[in-house]
Amino acid sequence: MIEMIIITGLIASGVYALLAIGFSLIFGAARIINLTHTAFYMLAAYLIYTFTSSFGLNPILSIIVSIIAVTIIGVLVYMLVIERVRAHETTVLIVTMALAIIIQEVVLLAFGGHFRGVSSLISGYATILGIKVTYQYLLTFGMVFIILFGTWALLMKTKLGIAIRATAQDREVANLMGINVARIGMITMAIAVALAAIAGALVAPLFTLTPYMWMHPLVMVLAVVVLGGLGSIKGSFVGAIILGFTETLVVFLVPTGAFLKGSVALAIMLVIILIRPEGLFGVSFEEER
Amino acid sequence: MKKVIIGAIIPLAVCVVLLVTSCGGAAPGKVVKIGVVGPMTFIQGEHHWYGAQLAAEEINAAGGVMVGNEAYQIKLVKVDSNEIISVTDAANAIERTITVDKVDFIVGGFRTEAVTPMQEIAMDYGRIFLCCGSSTKELCDKVGDDYDRYKYWFRVTPINSTYLGKVDFMLLGMVAEELKAECGIEVPKVAILAEKLEWAEDIVAAAQVLLPVMYGMEVVGTWRPSDTATEVTAELTAIEAAGAHIIFTTFSGPVGIPYARQWGEMQIPAASVGINVEAQKEGFWDATGGYGEYETTMNTYAPGVKITDQTIDFGERFVEDVGEFPTYCAGTYEALYVLKDAIEAAGTLDSDAVIVELEKTDYTGTAGRIVFDENHDVVWGPGYVTGLGVQWQDGEMECVWPPADGSWEGVVYEGAVTYELPPWVIEAWAP
Amino acid sequence: MISIVNAYIGRVYKEFRDEILVLPSKTIVLLFCLILFLIPLMTSELYILRILILASIFAIFAASWDLLSGFTGQMNFGHALFFGVAGYTSALLNLYVGLPPWLTIPIGAVAAVLAGLVVGVPCLRLRGPYLALATLAFPLILTGIIYIFPDITGGELGVSGIDPLSGSRLIDYYIAISLMIGLGFIMWKITGSKTGIIFHAIREDEVAVRASGINTTKYKLLAFCLSGLFAGIAGGLYVHFMRIAGPTSTLALMVSFQAIIWAIFGGIATIYGPIAGVFILVPVTELLRVMPEIRMLLFAVIVLLVLLFMPEGITTWVRDKIEKECPRCKVRNIATRKICRICSADLD
Repeated sequence: MIEMIIITGLIASGVYALLAIGFSLIFGAARIINLTHTAFYMLAAYLIYTFTSSFGLNPILSIIVSIIAVTIIGVLVYMLVIERVRAHETTVLIVTMALAIIIQEVVLLAFGGHFRGVSSLISGYATILGIKVTYQYLLTFGMVFIILFGTWALLMKTKLGIAIRATAQDREVANLMGINVARIGMITMAIAVALAAIAGALVAPLFTLTPYMWMHPLVMVLAVVVLGGLGSIKGSFVGAIILGFTETLVVFLVPTGAFLKGSVALAIMLVIILIRPEGLFGVSFEEER
Repeated sequence: MKKVIIGAIIPLAVCVVLLVTSCGGAAPGKVVKIGVVGPMTFIQGEHHWYGAQLAAEEINAAGGVMVGNEAYQIKLVKVDSNEIISVTDAANAIERTITVDKVDFIVGGFRTEAVTPMQEIAMDYGRIFLCCGSSTKELCDKVGDDYDRYKYWFRVTPINSTYLGKVDFMLLGMVAEELKAECGIEVPKVAILAEKLEWAEDIVAAAQVLLPVMYGMEVVGTWRPSDTATEVTAELTAIEAAGAHIIFTTFSGPVGIPYARQWGEMQIPAASVGINVEAQKEGFWDATGGYGEYETTMNTYAPGVKITDQTIDFGERFVEDVGEFPTYCAGTYEALYVLKDAIEAAGTLDSDAVIVELEKTDYTGTAGRIVFDENHDVVWGPGYVTGLGVQWQDGEMECVWPPADGSWEGVVYEGAVTYELPPWVIEAWAP
Repeated sequence: MISIVNAYIGRVYKEFRDEILVLPSKTIVLLFCLILFLIPLMTSELYILRILILASIFAIFAASWDLLSGFTGQMNFGHALFFGVAGYTSALLNLYVGLPPWLTIPIGAVAAVLAGLVVGVPCLRLRGPYLALATLAFPLILTGIIYIFPDITGGELGVSGIDPLSGSRLIDYYIAISLMIGLGFIMWKITGSKTGIIFHAIREDEVAVRASGINTTKYKLLAFCLSGLFAGIAGGLYVHFMRIAGPTSTLALMVSFQAIIWAIFGGIATIYGPIAGVFILVPVTELLRVMPEIRMLLFAVIVLLVLLFMPEGITTWVRDKIEKECPRCKVRNIATRKICRICSADLD
């Protein structure tokens, strides 16, 4: 029982972490709550589906093409839309929401309301401690660590990372120091969207493709990110672990209440932010910077 | 100042005018208008529409509907209810089609939360509504409770939730027999995996009580994931650990796809049987990447299965027009024929007269013989509409129930095959 | 006697002329209300009345969001909670206790006020996005609870078999628009009162308000409760009008987002903005029915374009075009005036 909970909990956490890191990054660096984030994830998944099923492209190639395409779309959206309204915090929310609905409707027009599936990169399963785990989940989990390490290295070890963190801390001063703030915002957005697209490539084969598939993950991503502290990448990872395990525990301990896993996870998030209003790592991340 | 006032009035006036005129073109004589209501961006609504369109084309080509001595052409009105997303939208859409499009009859409807207000509105206006999508029994029970108000309501497809449950159990029984024959399991262990929705409550409650008592099975647990769950890995892991031989499923939502895929990919050693609405669709095989093989579910149609003389022909023409095999929502096809017969018998479009004739309906359609009970609900049973059990075998949706050997009331449909246990299940439990 | 009446009428007329006709925005509101009252004379199309009834209900709902989030800045992303709590309360009381709608709707609204407390108290410590996302969770958690008790709540099927509002579309219409205008006016008055000014001040600088010796906690809770009250009335009306209380129609994520879209589209911190937003967007979505495939797409594009070019919302944009604020006494004047109507200061 315990090993089942640990392994299933870890793979559930991996999925959430992968989705949440990009969201957290763009908030941390540009103070934008990007509700379009999971819509980009959906877009990537659908593009991969199109390239593999309709054009018969090789899966790896179609993933790369899709990630590039979605990143370009994301940057365009940032330049044409988000950048113009970012001064009004509430307007950003609605604008990104409207963008998500636009992507949803475009996908609906192009693919219809059929439920589809993307095939996994590697099919089959491994047995760990007597528990079956599909390779796709292992891949997702591994990717989380690569991305965590990658973003950490980028933010801490490169010049670009320093510029991103400086912009996040104080836009005006960063600008005065000769950092091209607008360009930094765009680059951060590109990285965040690319992360969403990577999540689309890895996570979408685990779920069902529908034009509404962005909504439920969006709520969970918001919960993960708030729980961990907005803008903190470490926080997002810990938040994902907490929510992933909460959900798994609900399923294993109260099987007839498995449908409550989302509600219980959200309730846990509420309790934690009521005790720590800035999330688990909200403040420490600010200090780190 | 004046400009401002004019600026305010003009848009309002334009709105009002547009609302009134946008679709209110007066119908020429000798046309019977039928509103096809469904979520048109989804497969359910699409099939509502294509089914009705197929029937309308055939009827019109054959001279239309004879009302008295006059031939009326059928004119379909496509009504996008958007009911999966917005209940308000659905209610507005149906009122608009009644008052602005002025349709004479309505067919379609899919999701119960939206069909309920749509039913109320249709009853307010006294429009006959032939439901082709929602299985909730209560919708028809209202006819019995308050006949004068709800008499305009009929259900053509699917069979109601109680009957769905019955067929569901027979499918389960069939799988248990197979397990006994192949693996020598006398008391199969059953894991109930049903989404947490009201329509599944009765099936789950009945299964928990009846399986041990009447069917000699052991229930090892009940898992109720959310209907919006994205995957069920944790549930499947727990089910495997519980040592289940059979997974008894009840799914109507998109999670039916990842469920079947994971079940096949991880080779969970338990036969999967029950209701999985996603597995009723042709796209299921691709959506699961082929891992949906051996998934077994109830259905209404199956390719190449001859339920009545009309079934095969209908299926082929539907595939020709639409490019995919019909789901039960395409039952609007039958609904139009049932309606045509009733109108012709009544000799008028008047609702009350047509209702009298609809109640006498005895029509053999594509999914079986349609007769309405006293609640205006389609009757289920041998010789009526029975429903099918289908299993995915080698990329094909095959009919496995009623059994090909005629062991259920002697009902056998041409094209039925025998049920197959997944090989990994046999391997896991064979003595 | 007659002279007294005459004098009175004269005073009312003068008041009317000086307070309402002098400003185009107020004149538009007056005309809008008049037109709403007269529409049943112009058309007997039940479908149009239906759309306007729903628009009125949603207008109350969107304005109540503005009262809380627009004025105090407490971003509520789960406004559907109030709508749903009141809706389910009304529906259940009507179905199981048999109370008539004129009783269930106020009781539902009281239940929504309690919900306001339940959300408001724990959320007092949260700020900005944390508050927004915490409030988002409440209706979703409630949906889970509703699914636990399908015998009472009907699960996903909802509570049906509820009494209609009045049974007559015309009476429903006048109930809805009167309530919308009345409650809209009350909300507008609240925001102009001392309480409203404190609400506004909390949004701008909460610390400064507290430093002035005002108990901001009390006022924030008050905002949650007031907002819950009005949203609750909207929820009760909706449920009785639609004759069903279901999770998708009252508690879904989209219900909360709709309110925010309407309010921000119309212009926040105005009360009339959200009402205008609803009365523009709801008919527009209905008009777009002629193109069902791209309906939602066009809707989202319209919202996006309006916000890109009028980030403060449509009413604020229009108001700034037709009116000017006096730089000295801050009184609003019609844009054609050269000097302020109160203090005679130069307007340009």
